[in-house]
Amino acid sequence: MARKDLLDIASLHREEIEFLLDQSTSFKKLFTRSVKKIPALEGKSVLMLFYEASTRTHSSFEVAAKRLSAEVTNFNVDHSSITKGESVRETIETLQAMRTDYIVVRHSHSGLPGMIARQTTAAVINAGDGAHEHPTQALLDAFTIKEKFPDPRGKKVLIIGDILHSRVARSTSTLLQKLGVEVAYLGPGSLVPKYVPATIPRFTDYEAAMAWGPDVVYLLRVQLERQDVQFFPSVREYHRVYGITNTRLAEISDRGLYIMHPGPVNRGVELCDAVMDYERSLITNQVENGISVRMAVLDWLTPGGDFPRQESYVAPQRANSTVIMP
Amino acid sequence: MILLQNARIASENSPTLLESDVLIAEGKIQDMGSKLAIPEGARVIDARGRILMPGMFDAHVHFRAPGFENKETITTGSEAAINGGVTGVVMMPNTRPALDSASAVDAVLENARHRARIPVYTSGCVTKNREGKELAEIEGMRELGVKMLTDDGDTTADPAVLLRAMQYATEFGMFFASHCEVPELAGPRALNEGVMSYRLGIKGSPACAEEIIIDRDIRLARAAGAHVHIQHVSSKLGMETIRWWKSRGDVKVTAEVAPHHLLFTDEHIGDYDTNYKMNPPLRTQADCDALLEGLKEGVFDLIATDHAPHTPFEKAQDFVSAPNGITGLDTALVSLYHHFVEPGKFDWDLVVKRYSAESRRLMGLPVAAIEVGQPADCLLFDTEAETTFTKDFMKSKSQNTPFIDQTLKGRVDMVILGTEVLLER
Repeated sequence: MARKDLLDIASLHREEIEFLLDQSTSFKKLFTRSVKKIPALEGKSVLMLFYEASTRTHSSFEVAAKRLSAEVTNFNVDHSSITKGESVRETIETLQAMRTDYIVVRHSHSGLPGMIARQTTAAVINAGDGAHEHPTQALLDAFTIKEKFPDPRGKKVLIIGDILHSRVARSTSTLLQKLGVEVAYLGPGSLVPKYVPATIPRFTDYEAAMAWGPDVVYLLRVQLERQDVQFFPSVREYHRVYGITNTRLAEISDRGLYIMHPGPVNRGVELCDAVMDYERSLITNQVENGISVRMAVLDWLTPGGDFPRQESYVAPQRANSTVIMP
Repeated sequence: MILLQNARIASENSPTLLESDVLIAEGKIQDMGSKLAIPEGARVIDARGRILMPGMFDAHVHFRAPGFENKETITTGSEAAINGGVTGVVMMPNTRPALDSASAVDAVLENARHRARIPVYTSGCVTKNREGKELAEIEGMRELGVKMLTDDGDTTADPAVLLRAMQYATEFGMFFASHCEVPELAGPRALNEGVMSYRLGIKGSPACAEEIIIDRDIRLARAAGAHVHIQHVSSKLGMETIRWWKSRGDVKVTAEVAPHHLLFTDEHIGDYDTNYKMNPPLRTQADCDALLEGLKEGVFDLIATDHAPHTPFEKAQDFVSAPNGITGLDTALVSLYHHFVEPGKFDWDLVVKRYSAESRRLMGLPVAAIEVGQPADCLLFDTEAETTFTKDFMKSKSQNTPFIDQTLKGRVDMVILGTEVLLER
């Protein structure tokens, strides 16, 4: 039996992760066909419930669902009763009455997708909740890394930036560790809290972090729109101290390191312009892989019925009748 | 007339329980001793094995009236108190309108006289509408019996305002109770900053946000020659700060601790359980251990619940949106017994001293005691029975408590106040 919901990486078992990554490989093979659509979710409905602005994740899920032949409905928060003061809970009750099969939700409040999952029969996919988790981002990151390192055990990924507020950092580091990848954090002291898990080395100095010997440098987006509190003095200083400057790019190139970023990139902040042309930049690969990973997740989850929270691992099965031919 | 036979009597002065018969008549304890004669017409209760102790007194409750009667009313709040063996309470003034004037206080007290079966006292605001700007009209509230001033829930942010209030109100024999929090540090979410806040992805509130104000307000009280009472301390360093100031002996400071801060840590929040969302937030096991140490030492003068009811609808939201606070009156005494007295971490004398005697002393009230000639204000507690905190058991209008549906050892069997038996199971 598959799971009903995908809420976090923390509760995923390694076998489930391996299964989803394998499935993603199969789905990605579809992309080279002239007809990229398969009927796996025909007759199923997917509701996109995005309380926060999103381009990449939203369109990636929408494309993934449509390639599986699902009907996609976009719940437009700006035009909903939420603007009339309706609470999320009331919205959930309304959505449950509509009996949608899948809900893809993004919200600024951590834990909210779990609350929705407990109150609906729909399969709920967390597309980012506050600073908590972003599980499909983690899966696509792992998938992208595995394309370069088929056996990633022992490889090292250095995540740079705003660890404090980043759901990407939490999910991706958790998942990579489950695959045997070593992860370290680098960032300003105000954004890399002292209480991050002890299994993750914490650097505040770029040179020391590079001496740790990463294989991949993963830049987080500086969330300039959330800097209501000043965590560092200026963007210029941030770029100089923690960004990939032209000088640092040359060093990264010499070492043959890969560069990743969840997008959208703040050019001149996390990365200098030249990174976009760097041959080992995997930023575009991440976007492309997002679709196949999300197809795998949608195909795997099993909506409907009376689902308690699943704590114990159940061997995954392929949902429906998806057959991917090479 | 009630004759309790072979009760074991708890007092604040001795960990040893005194076995005795107790005769209660005309609202007073008329006689005590072994094998008392049964007066004609007396109701005889075999209290063998059960504990008779003074009624508890909770110096920190939110009854939500006026303004939020959907959460609690003075009637339901006081019934929750009786349900838990509490025979007197002090309301906080964060109602709507806030209790910042004689007329607002008068309305609450009048309401309580008609709708509560126990004495309900109230605190008053330090500043008008708890906004921290203009002093509330303090003397008018004092005339109505208000002794405690607090902007509870909101720290009086401007130290100059609080200092002036202390200098002014101390002349009237009033004291100040402080909810300690630097809002700029604490942020909007009630979750301890640390491993758990990182894991859950919610901005945490560091303990220093509380500790700074504990220290600040004691310093202000010292400068003003005032008495400050530190409310619901949650952190180890907060406790140690109070301990240090008390050891100096040059400022009048008292402090309280809530049962939930002794019992639960941020780990209990688990999967965003809003029944563990409160302010100050639950911290770590090291903090719990230090608070227990502080309670046993006497750093904390009293136990108070910060009884904070919220409707199920409000608490059923996600963790970030849900309001802070849990109820405590129905559950406090049984939970203290189950988690501390029964396992031998402290004795009944501490419970009586900290949750009954010192709470009344803080308010300048006579202490309840099981002694001949004293007014009847007592409860009978069965240590062998159990209590299951079902929704039906709770008398509070709200059931936002981590104890919901838990079964704990101990049961409040009977509550007697004056000539009335307020509760009997």
